[in-house]
Amino acid sequence: MIARRTLIDLGVALGALAAIAVILEAWTRAFNVPTYLLPAPSAVAARMATDAGVLAREGGITLSEAAAGFVLGTGVAFALATVMAWSRPFERTLFPLAILVKLTPIVAVAPLFTLWFGFGTAPKVAIAALITFFPMLVNSFVGLRSADLQEVAFLETLGASGREIFRHLRVPSALPYLFSGARISLNLALIGAVIGEWTGADRGLGRVIFVANANLDLTILFGAVLVLAAIGIAANAFVGAAERRLLHWHPIAVAT
Amino acid sequence: MPVAIALHGVSAGYASPVLHDIDLEVGNEVVAIVGRSGSGKTTLLRLIAGLVEPTSGTVDLLGVAPAVARRRKRIGFVAQDARLHPWRTVRENVTLPLEVNRRARTNGHITPDEWVARMGLTEATDAYPHQLSGGMRQRVALARSLVIDPEVLLMDEPLASLDELTRDDLRDELLRLWEGRARSVVYVTHDIEEAVLLADRVIVIGGRPAGVLGEVQISLARPRTRAMRREPGFHDLVEEVREHLE
Repeated sequence: MIARRTLIDLGVALGALAAIAVILEAWTRAFNVPTYLLPAPSAVAARMATDAGVLAREGGITLSEAAAGFVLGTGVAFALATVMAWSRPFERTLFPLAILVKLTPIVAVAPLFTLWFGFGTAPKVAIAALITFFPMLVNSFVGLRSADLQEVAFLETLGASGREIFRHLRVPSALPYLFSGARISLNLALIGAVIGEWTGADRGLGRVIFVANANLDLTILFGAVLVLAAIGIAANAFVGAAERRLLHWHPIAVAT
Repeated sequence: MPVAIALHGVSAGYASPVLHDIDLEVGNEVVAIVGRSGSGKTTLLRLIAGLVEPTSGTVDLLGVAPAVARRRKRIGFVAQDARLHPWRTVRENVTLPLEVNRRARTNGHITPDEWVARMGLTEATDAYPHQLSGGMRQRVALARSLVIDPEVLLMDEPLASLDELTRDDLRDELLRLWEGRARSVVYVTHDIEEAVLLADRVIVIGGRPAGVLGEVQISLARPRTRAMRREPGFHDLVEEVREHLE
């Protein structure tokens, strides 16, 4: 069932993409659009085939940076949300700081990170982590606070410890929120990694796009964007499958 | 009769006082607390469970403070419209109380599976709460509160959100349960007839802040059945409780 749903989702996405490709192909051929303005999908496909190795390698680098940033950002966000859900003073202190982080434009700090952490993997991971942090923090916090108060009372009358209530009630109650946070954060992490590569890197899809832009090499530029989109779609499908599996008890998961 | 629950001069409240100078002793009996909505019935129950601290007076549960009784796992609690743990099956919900606070004794002579069976939930053992009706959910709530074999059972309008027929069935179930094992039960309700049918004593609270307005001994014989509602003495008792309320 789960695999079938994922396949259907993927099929619909690919179908839409194919339709757009056909239209663009016809357009570029009919009006003889020059390649440096808009390359024909067939040209992009041919370029993707010849440079498949490069795209796969650079895509893998971007994916691993985004994944590391996602794990770091959401991990720290969940830990902080736990502390904030635990104590009001912490919530009052940490929330304004979190909003500060949120309001800082990523494009503004990205060059700074390159300055601090060099041209390697670190600044990309840091940007991806920073950009995923806030949506996950808010979702985790609201989720952990969403536990049913009657159920909390029930566990308390059984002498359950705070840790037991956290494990048996608060974390499962937060799961739907954690998943919606993860869905937002996952895409943001990819964008974060690409922005990081854009501002200074020798590897990754962001670098490929940057160089292609400078050279007006649009076939590889579109190729890189398509690889990025494919990674995003695959990551979302993965989260969706995990969500359906873990939230089978949730009325919304059942309904959709 | 040994006293299981003892409240002496208890007042409680949040921003404004809710309860004022309540004295209440409960032995091995069923005591129904009756009052209008918002009269502090639930606060009184939470006070007994130690979920709310009194602003003055003392609460004793089985000779100790409520917090200690809780740690010893002596309290069963059934809320109105229990949402249960939606990610757990019926059986897993019933075993939950055995999984937390493991240091406390849990000498339930009756296993979770037996409780599931007694509540007529055998067919639903592996179902999730969202697949159950309101009545079935309350049966699960009842089973999970009894699985630790509590000395004190606190019930907060457990049947209020159910339809009439389901309510009658579950009421019979409760009566049957209480015939078996002697327990101290505090049963909060706004349904006077229900209070008279179930309880050995009905205590009426009201006012602002709420105090004890009156008490009615229910002399109906046990075992009780729903047919007793048609007996001549029944309505006298109901009227007597109603007078205290007005």
